[in-house]
Amino acid sequence: MSNSSLKVGRVLRADTRGFVIGCTVLQPDIPAFGSFVRAEGRAPGSVIYGTIYDVSLEDDAFVRHFISVNPTEEVVQDQRQNRQVPIEVSVLALGCSDGKRIRHCLPAQPPVTLDWLYQCTDEEVRGFTARFDYFRLVLEAREAPTDELLAASLRAAAAARPAGEQEVFLIEAGRELARLLAGDPVRLEGLLRRLRDV
Amino acid sequence: MTLELSKLTGQMRAMGEELAAREQQYADLVALARRWLAEYADQGEELRHRIRSIRPARRCHAAIPTDETLDAVHHLPGIPERFTFIAADGTQIQPDRHGAVLYSLITVGSIVYRHGSGQAPEARSQPTLSYTEADLYENGILVAGNLLDVRRDLAEITCLADLCTAEPSSPRTSPFRWRFVRTVAVVDGTLILWVLEDMPPEGRQRKITEYLHQLDRIRDTGASVAAFISRPRRGEVAQLLHLANVGGDVNRAIEEPNPLQHLPDRAIFGWLPPGARSALFASSTPINCDHYQPAGHDIHFCYVNVDSRHPLAQEDHEAIIARVEFPAWVAQDANRLALVHGAIVAQARITGDYPYALVRADELAFISGPEREALESMVLTALMDAGVRTALSPKRYYKTLTRQGRRKRR
Repeated sequence: MSNSSLKVGRVLRADTRGFVIGCTVLQPDIPAFGSFVRAEGRAPGSVIYGTIYDVSLEDDAFVRHFISVNPTEEVVQDQRQNRQVPIEVSVLALGCSDGKRIRHCLPAQPPVTLDWLYQCTDEEVRGFTARFDYFRLVLEAREAPTDELLAASLRAAAAARPAGEQEVFLIEAGRELARLLAGDPVRLEGLLRRLRDV
Repeated sequence: MTLELSKLTGQMRAMGEELAAREQQYADLVALARRWLAEYADQGEELRHRIRSIRPARRCHAAIPTDETLDAVHHLPGIPERFTFIAADGTQIQPDRHGAVLYSLITVGSIVYRHGSGQAPEARSQPTLSYTEADLYENGILVAGNLLDVRRDLAEITCLADLCTAEPSSPRTSPFRWRFVRTVAVVDGTLILWVLEDMPPEGRQRKITEYLHQLDRIRDTGASVAAFISRPRRGEVAQLLHLANVGGDVNRAIEEPNPLQHLPDRAIFGWLPPGARSALFASSTPINCDHYQPAGHDIHFCYVNVDSRHPLAQEDHEAIIARVEFPAWVAQDANRLALVHGAIVAQARITGDYPYALVRADELAFISGPEREALESMVLTALMDAGVRTALSPKRYYKTLTRQGRRKRR
């Protein structure tokens, strides 16, 4: 469980359904696939919530050159810290808040360029995942590996809860999935299997 | 596409045939030059005295030999485990009288690479905009072309001097600093401000004094400085060999055609084993002899095979010969010279054949097309914010329209 609000990176580009942020260095847990993040909305006190569905590092001809010439540690660090930045992190927008109430829907406006994106605290994750209305947004996303993403985000949401509440939370999430995917038992089974692996 | 490539087919074929024919001629010239190099190898001292005794303007750009025999080979010295390699490279945007406003920009990219540290190098890029009348003109002449090149060279060497001064391992006041300072500062290109040879004397002197002051600053930190020239075209050693072949008679050397006239020195030294350097030579250019030498910065040079292959590998592989320049205080100090030699080869081995830090410094200085457009847009916005109304010249405006590329029909 974590209670600190860590900066993941700054927004590079955005639309209503999601945004891409840039960060400089990969840290052990940040940014992590399926973790919950938030950006400030345009209105004072408002927040946009999302989950990370892709972390990508670009290459170029120069970095490819070093695949075959066994680079020094200084070159590796130069390529990682100075050249191959920003590392691009793609976020699926899942909800927003006006500071009072959290809603699971696409935000009215995306964040703007160079806004900071923060890792949600455990309290924020618990608040956002108190209801499961955002499942539909994840399951219908075209750009993300939806089932893996939902499983990973549920694991992250369970981890933000005390040990005694985690199993109950996952069972409740499984029931909601069973309702949403009643017409697709094969997909449901795959998702529940992933949740069982927690 | 306006360039009609089909009309060039015949010329391309002729060019290929011409180059193929020239290859044999080139090989014969290389053989002749190497024969002369061996034949006159021990005449360095005599040739040096002869060249030094005549006016710089009549030295016909022949390299000045040092104490080393002309065909000496110095194998790669031991490379220290830890040393700092600092590189700087600059680029510029020329003032455009057809633009919305007259300005120029110089960007210097620099990198501090600490060998053996395992740390990421420190990378920087420093842009400087020139827009005031005092910045844009010197003696009533717009600072563009060669003048702007000199200003960029000054910015590069100043950047190196600043970075050397900031190095924590450069205790300027310590009498024992040479023992523990291992910093090499390198620019891409040359240390000699050639282009100033065509400038009026007063303007030239001021710029050279400023440049030499930066070399003083680097020397005072205990660091070494060098310039690295990839695929050099200069033929000063070829000129020296011609002079040797006419008995050291400068008049004959000037009057008689030099068969090696178009042969670059790097071809002569193509036999250097990987990592080795040639003998040292001093530059006989007037600007070096008249300005650098009296200030203690007489520019010396040598050729280095920066190929990272094993010495016994593939003998038909063409050597990668670079020219390395440094001031006399590096050339005459065995420790500094060995450090510069080893550091440049160590850097070139990272990529295979070119110093890594110079690649990065160039990258950090490079101004891409989209960056240029963004800069122009920023300039226009700043002008509008200040209430200045301006526009591109009609010529530039129509060029912009025709060079944008065609719109695709959707």
